[in-house]
Amino acid sequence: MSIAEKTGRPIADLLREGDSAEDLYAGLRAQFEAELRDTRTPEHTRALRDRWLGRRSGLLTAANESWLKAAARELKPTVGKLQNQLKRDLEAALQNAMQGAVSEPRDEAGLDPTLPGPERTAGAVHPVRLALEEVLDIFRPLGYTVAEGPEIESFFYNFEALNFPSDHPAVDEMDTLFLAGKERALLRTHTSPCQIRIMEAESPPLRYVVHGKVYRNDTPDATHSPMFHQLEMFAVGADITFGDLRGTLEHFVRRFFGPSTRARFRPSYFPFTEPSAEVDITCPFCSGHGCRICKQTGYIEVLGCGMIDPNVLTNAGLDHERFQGFAAGFGLDRFAMLRYGIDDILQMYQGDTRFLRQFR
Amino acid sequence: MRILLSWLRDFVEIQESPRDLADALTMAGMAVDTVEEADGDTLFEFDITSNRPDAMNHFGMAREVASIYRRPLRRPSSEFAEADILASSMASVEIANPKSCARYVGRVFTGVRVGPSPDWIRRRIELCGIRPINNLADLTNYALLEMGQPTHAFDLDKLAGRHIEVRTARPGESLVTLDGVLRELVAEDLVICDAEKPVALAGVMGGEATEITAETRNVLLEAAWFKPSTVRNTSRRLKLFSEASHRFERGADWDGTVWAADRIASLLGQTGPGAVLKGCIDCYPGSRNLPEIRLQSESIRRHLGVDLGGSEVESILLALGFRPVASDNGWIVPATSHRLDVEREIDLIEEIARIHGFEKIPATLPAVGIAPARTPKAAEDTRMRNAVSGLGYDETIGFSFSSSSESQRFGGSPEIALRNPISKLWDVMRTSAVPTMLRALEWNLKRNQPFVRLAEFGRVYQRTDAGFVEPKMLCLGASGTARPLCWSEPSRPFGFFELKADVAALLHPFDSAGLRFDSRNVPPYYRQGHAASARCDAGVLAHFGEIDPEITREQKIRQPVWVAEIFLDEVYQRGLRAPAHRRLARVPAVSRDFSLLVPESVAFERIIDTVGPMADLISLEPLEVFRGQNVPRGHYSLLLRASWQRLDESLTDEEVNSFAAELRSGLHARLGIVVRT
Repeated sequence: MSIAEKTGRPIADLLREGDSAEDLYAGLRAQFEAELRDTRTPEHTRALRDRWLGRRSGLLTAANESWLKAAARELKPTVGKLQNQLKRDLEAALQNAMQGAVSEPRDEAGLDPTLPGPERTAGAVHPVRLALEEVLDIFRPLGYTVAEGPEIESFFYNFEALNFPSDHPAVDEMDTLFLAGKERALLRTHTSPCQIRIMEAESPPLRYVVHGKVYRNDTPDATHSPMFHQLEMFAVGADITFGDLRGTLEHFVRRFFGPSTRARFRPSYFPFTEPSAEVDITCPFCSGHGCRICKQTGYIEVLGCGMIDPNVLTNAGLDHERFQGFAAGFGLDRFAMLRYGIDDILQMYQGDTRFLRQFR
Repeated sequence: MRILLSWLRDFVEIQESPRDLADALTMAGMAVDTVEEADGDTLFEFDITSNRPDAMNHFGMAREVASIYRRPLRRPSSEFAEADILASSMASVEIANPKSCARYVGRVFTGVRVGPSPDWIRRRIELCGIRPINNLADLTNYALLEMGQPTHAFDLDKLAGRHIEVRTARPGESLVTLDGVLRELVAEDLVICDAEKPVALAGVMGGEATEITAETRNVLLEAAWFKPSTVRNTSRRLKLFSEASHRFERGADWDGTVWAADRIASLLGQTGPGAVLKGCIDCYPGSRNLPEIRLQSESIRRHLGVDLGGSEVESILLALGFRPVASDNGWIVPATSHRLDVEREIDLIEEIARIHGFEKIPATLPAVGIAPARTPKAAEDTRMRNAVSGLGYDETIGFSFSSSSESQRFGGSPEIALRNPISKLWDVMRTSAVPTMLRALEWNLKRNQPFVRLAEFGRVYQRTDAGFVEPKMLCLGASGTARPLCWSEPSRPFGFFELKADVAALLHPFDSAGLRFDSRNVPPYYRQGHAASARCDAGVLAHFGEIDPEITREQKIRQPVWVAEIFLDEVYQRGLRAPAHRRLARVPAVSRDFSLLVPESVAFERIIDTVGPMADLISLEPLEVFRGQNVPRGHYSLLLRASWQRLDESLTDEEVNSFAAELRSGLHARLGIVVRT
């Protein structure tokens, strides 16, 4: 009679036939261990668990009924102890097996440490967020506060307060997406409206980094996206100079793009700054020697900046005779693309896990 | 804007190589895009900012070169002999709308012969991208490229009454422009009319009827100043953009009008026969007052952080064509009509910095001396982001746009439509992050990804009575296996309780006492019975569950897709749980397992609520939930483990037995649960 069959018979009969309670449980244990050795796949292991611990017909469940419950009163403590001990051991062994230990070689060579364990890698942080965190880590120690603002803006905050002449081509150049309705609301084309909102709410000295989504009516392609991310930093005080702007941004681009990066300040025009400059950096791909990415110029244009126009300060309720400041803004997507070598901005917004997992 | 090196050299000495010149101009704000050799000459392609119409021509660019290198600037010659007949005897000009046309200068040429221009004119304008037409048209284009002043040549004999009136269009008027298109005019359009009808769109394009032809003998040359916004509105309305409108809408120089007319007159003789009648017809109704700008040395230092010295400042201003007069601690600088963008002290400071060289201004750092303020909810946001990543979700970012039909299915609030959307699929702002997430899941499933976990931190957009609001959302998306595939583990599909565990884990760091999960009022796009909401007091913290298969089927997704919407503003406003230590027990806990037969109407949470408050009870864990077979219909079987513990003393068997009995009777009496063992 197999040990499995024995679990179906009352213990009294078995004892009469010469088995001791200890023998019976040792037999069960040996049988389980033999079966466990033969399991190769997780499916086998689960089947094994059902065969032994299944609530209705598991062998150990059967032993519980025919042996423990049916045992004579004086025998119950012994059988109970044996039953519980075996149950615990079986559960532990099965638990181990379910976790894969059973499939590994258990001979003298030990396990194969070169096999991979189950993947528990933390999820990816989006490259735009990665770039943002890097930038914030540079500006926070310089005393900058991080802020955000609404993406749905008024014409006033997005243009008028920022000194855009309302009938000037500069407004067209922004390719604004407007909302339907009479409010004349729009999707902000840049993060600069936050400058006004913050200057209205607080008094200098001010040091702020603002960031968030901005929108342009651009047809999507590899370098254009109707939605992208901008970051803008500004400082307002009694004695903030253009020299400070240069020093701050030179520090920033060296930290972000590498210590040998040089920034070049080129005069430009933005309605909300004066003097205005565009900043080119020595191309991080060729160290300024000229390559395809910098179109052989050795430079890449990365951000726009300038001294905040006195009209902007006035529009925000500050006295431009007492206060002055600088501001700089750039596209985080573009920074991420340059930093991580991404060549298509639209990949940023597809949610393709193969793309994202490169940033784990 | 194309600029020829040889043409620049008409006005300023240049020894530098084209490459060096391009660099110097770029670093002064005249960005050179390309430098190329063309026909033995050098052609620069500039990208000139919209505030600098004065530099969109050769003479203006030469002034920049002269300023950078501080070299003399030569003006183009405008000398010529005039005939004895007065121009004003042959034509007359009247401005009905002086606000939109500040000045109108006319010159009259008689006895001209229309034909090709000499080669040197043709070559220059052609290299600069303008097609040669005939000597008169070419002359106007030549002057435009040289001095930036747009001019127009009319066939004088075709102007009714040999009269020009500048006025706004009248109802029903129209005009065939030089490109052969009939233009219907509106009352805002400024038009040049003869005695009867419109003959040109002011500052935009001339009319076909009065065009110079091979038969033209007498010419009226127009050199005028039109208001930027007027030209811009007409040009935009008609989608008609010309070299002239490009300059007028950025602001031309009204004092350049006479000069341009004279320059053309002086070149006329080189293009063929023709007489220049005596004098200009100069209609200049409103004399223009330009401000005098006070420039203080201290302001320069205050803005730039460096003292440049008086002689450097004066030298730059003079080179740019300003006439600074020294005064107390600085200068008085009259604004000039060739630089309408310079009207304030700061504008002058920019000019000085630009020509001096931004790179020569020493880089400094502002003193720190300021403590950054704490960004609201930054700590909460960091915790949440770290937890999301820790659970293995890959962060994605989706577009904020949605379509009207999508927003009706997924949104609850009135949609926000775009007036000029990118496309029909993106014509509203999204009111829900779910469709965005479904698209990303679809993208991955179509690419056979077996394990997809995505998380988006973003906003949704709602219109309320008080205005627009942009609540912050965290949207999770999951599909495929419960875990990444691994040889050492069985593969099983992702399910509701994986998602619930993730949602609970994300809410855990926050102060969410009274957190409840239920399936009341789950939005209809979830599969009913497979979704839930997390609530705290009256607030909904999250909805999550399987998306209705009817919806995913439309996207050709053939496997279950799970989504969680976590309302971050609601979660963050609760703040982070304040950590507090509780003393650990010195003795082990005692556990007992109970096999319960529970009516289906009793949710697990009610068991906790009912017996949870028992003294010394430290946990109630469900070990197994089972239905069918010998479990009666309308019930489920639950294996429940209860654990008791006191801090400092062991529990006796009798105590645990009495706890167990209390638990059994409590469950039975209050919830109708049969305790089987």
